[in-house]
Amino acid sequence: MKSEYDELLDRLFLAARSKKPDTAAIEEHFETRLMARIEEQQSKQQLWFAWSWRLVPWFATIVVIVGIVSVIYDPLRSSDLFTAFDNGHEEYMTTSLIAGD
Amino acid sequence: MNVINNEPSDEIVIQDIRAGNTEAFVQLVRKYKRKVFGLAARFSRDADDLDDICQDVFIKIYENLGNFRGDAPFEHWLSRITIRTCYDALRSRKKEKGNVPLESIHYSLEDSAIGINQAAEVALNFLELALAQLRPEDRLVITLLELEEKSIREIAEMTGWSQANVKVRAFRARKKLKQLLEKQYEK
Repeated sequence: MKSEYDELLDRLFLAARSKKPDTAAIEEHFETRLMARIEEQQSKQQLWFAWSWRLVPWFATIVVIVGIVSVIYDPLRSSDLFTAFDNGHEEYMTTSLIAGD
Repeated sequence: MNVINNEPSDEIVIQDIRAGNTEAFVQLVRKYKRKVFGLAARFSRDADDLDDICQDVFIKIYENLGNFRGDAPFEHWLSRITIRTCYDALRSRKKEKGNVPLESIHYSLEDSAIGINQAAEVALNFLELALAQLRPEDRLVITLLELEEKSIREIAEMTGWSQANVKVRAFRARKKLKQLLEKQYEK
């Protein structure tokens, strides 16, 4: 059974439905504003894209420099597992590793 | 049939847009802006907010047109994106909930003395304030159901929620609105 407030709510909805929002004024030149915003977004994206490509040579240079430095200043190899493999002590190192020494 | 009343079909226009024709996109916007504005106006606070929501809708359309498979009519896809954008807008302003005094407008059953247009205006304002007190998902459902007169199935399709979920939200929204009305009348 519908209460008084159900009825009132239905009336409210009915009245609100009868009044369609008038958006004609805001719709004017909407396409122009929209296209301007899209173009602005695209130009921003293009700027980022262009910058990322411009930075590529710098990153490549850094990689080369790091490579050269690592070859020149090669630190003495310690007794890590991979060095042990290189030196033929793999059996000893594997046993140590498994035993937890 | 691709051409009706000298107006190219949506499929042709979409193909043109995908080929990089921005003028075709403007044509699509012109065709559907009324529909988008009409729907978004139910959820926006003011003209600027409405303009922003509608721009967001069409930007999403522009950016995701490549994902539109064409299984369903373009209009359905557009409605779904519009609803999703409106829902996002409602969620983003959730913090403002309860800030608007409902007492500022009094709607009465006995308000028959005022004209129909004026009554509709008052009802709309009152409802707008009352709807602002609801949770975004409840507001979305009750607005589509009662103001846009969509069916439960249509709302479920538009929102991607189950029909049972939509029914529960509609029930919850209505209950809350009734409580608000009761409070108003107690005062």
